[in-house]
Amino acid sequence: MTTPAKKPPPPVEERLFSLVLALVATRIGLTKNEILQTVQGYSQRYVHSGDNENLERQFERDKDELRDLGVPLEVVDDHTGNNHDARYRISKDDYELPAGITFTPDEMTLLSLAAMVWKEGSLSADSRRAITKLRSLDLHPDEPIIGYAPQLRVRDSAFEPLQRAMDRYQVVSFDYVKPGATAPGRRTVEPLALVQHDGRWLLNGNDLEAGARRTFLLSRIVSPVRATGKSFPAPGSGHADRTIEELDALLRSNSAELRVTPGSDAQLRLSRRAEGTTADAESITVNYTDLALLADELAGYGPEVQVVAPDELQRAVRDRLLLVAEAHAEPGRPADLRGGATDG
Amino acid sequence: MADKPGQLLRASDKLTYLLTLVPYLIAQNRVSVTDAAEHFQVEPQQIRDWVKLIAISGIPGDTGQYLPDDLFDIVWDDFENNDQIVLTHRVAIEYTPKFSGKEAAALIAGLQYLSALPEQSDREAVASLMAKLTRGTSQTPSEVAVADTVHERDVPLIGDAVKRGLQIEFDYLSARGEHERRIVDPLRIDSTDNSWYLRAWCHLRESVRTFRLDRMSDVQLRDAPITRHAGEVVLPETLFDGSDEDVNVLLELPSTALSLIADFAPEPVGEADADGLVHVTIRAAGFHGLKRLVAGLSGVVRVVAPDEARTVVAEWASAGAAAYEGV
Repeated sequence: MTTPAKKPPPPVEERLFSLVLALVATRIGLTKNEILQTVQGYSQRYVHSGDNENLERQFERDKDELRDLGVPLEVVDDHTGNNHDARYRISKDDYELPAGITFTPDEMTLLSLAAMVWKEGSLSADSRRAITKLRSLDLHPDEPIIGYAPQLRVRDSAFEPLQRAMDRYQVVSFDYVKPGATAPGRRTVEPLALVQHDGRWLLNGNDLEAGARRTFLLSRIVSPVRATGKSFPAPGSGHADRTIEELDALLRSNSAELRVTPGSDAQLRLSRRAEGTTADAESITVNYTDLALLADELAGYGPEVQVVAPDELQRAVRDRLLLVAEAHAEPGRPADLRGGATDG
Repeated sequence: MADKPGQLLRASDKLTYLLTLVPYLIAQNRVSVTDAAEHFQVEPQQIRDWVKLIAISGIPGDTGQYLPDDLFDIVWDDFENNDQIVLTHRVAIEYTPKFSGKEAAALIAGLQYLSALPEQSDREAVASLMAKLTRGTSQTPSEVAVADTVHERDVPLIGDAVKRGLQIEFDYLSARGEHERRIVDPLRIDSTDNSWYLRAWCHLRESVRTFRLDRMSDVQLRDAPITRHAGEVVLPETLFDGSDEDVNVLLELPSTALSLIADFAPEPVGEADADGLVHVTIRAAGFHGLKRLVAGLSGVVRVVAPDEARTVVAEWASAGAAAYEGV
């Protein structure tokens, strides 16, 4: 297929910009054909009474791109059921920031700092775009909040595909290793919320096989996140806040009784998490959301911490330590568990 | 389709600049390219390119022909000779676009995280700001949230010392397991997720050091001004202070678990084997931290070399397990 050799196609942003202007300006909306024939960036490539399949696909992608950027593209259907008669427009009221929304210099400072929290990934690009929009309000941030450099990380490669699927109500599947397990299992999930709790990113969603809502640790998703091609109805809002409330409640309801060695790392660091405990306490109680994760952490302290209760946690920590000892024993020699060795 | 890395602006970013530059230029009436570039924190040439593009853009109009009245216009003489932008004709848009659901979510989650700072303890102000952002969003904000689970009790005190330029002193349990009383000039509080750090000029070491807040105790404000200021010393990009005494340790782990040790900047050695196991080296400040790291990643990470490190880990784990004998 050949494209007529007119002018070189204009840059993508020029085509998208022209599309937004044309759709904001129209009251009754423009049909796809009107757009392809007249709007800058499309019209140069439009072939009269010819095959415009590529251009039509381009328009479909551009629509997705605009929606992704939050441009409220409306489809006004004329009820003929014919896709070609659908009209597209952008309502100015939905597009523009309402005049009543203004930000004080203090708020602007806070928002700039909130945007800076994201140093990498798609959330960083999103927050930069938001700040660009705020700048057009001719706002100058007040004195920056000096003395702080806060940062949130999204290291889990599952985050971006999950957020994309969540925003588009798409069912995803992935391989997941349950905390405490070693072999992964396939999960098919309607993603509802992504939250960071206690420094870890978690996904909350409907697990379709289990037929129930479940929370997954992103760090334990061991396969790429795949879109299944199925979608689900818009699930309403408030899922992120609810997920955090549930995790907080879980945290309050689970507690472990520990004995720690005076002056040790374990005492210093664990005692900070225990409410109402002094830094020199030898018996402390900490709360947790996930027994397997706490067991991992406690195993790291080796002999500096001993689990008094619950029994299940005690066993989990001991099993982990035995596994580490075994993996690091001399080749061909079993781990010497009675050595009573101390800090090397 | 992954984000392109680096500073390259994507078409979607450029579109955002075009859509926000228009209301800005309308509000400014007249503005120099330099000022606009500084305001948006981009290169002046970038602004020139965008203004040129805006000036020839518009709407198809009733005729579908993009007639002059359907286009934006600027005072070209002022633009070309004086580097000044004056928008004289505008079409279609005049105000700032609303935030997208993802943009609002990124800011709201950022605000939730910042609410851990003592300066942001005014919950009502933060809540009203979040509500305002939500009203200014064209879609429902993405369901992304950050829980406020930071309980570092010393943040307010240290933050206060940074602001007032006062020294502090504290007991510090180093990554090597040594207890020392430190006197420092606090320069900046850094945080990464739920870990909090102080970047400070250490009087004992006479250099910039990074201290974990959860390894500090008995923090006291000193009645003495700091001797070094944030402006005069270079704060290293990395949070971890290397030292000549560091040892190289060779680890084996599944490649899928590499993110678990990303903080230790693992250097890969060779390719992954058939089972997906990779070998990496990390720099460790002695074995005090290493044995904790490895014991906390049971069934995942194995120390291969040096042999001394392997033995230390084995003894550490055995001693830990021994405490449960007969339980």
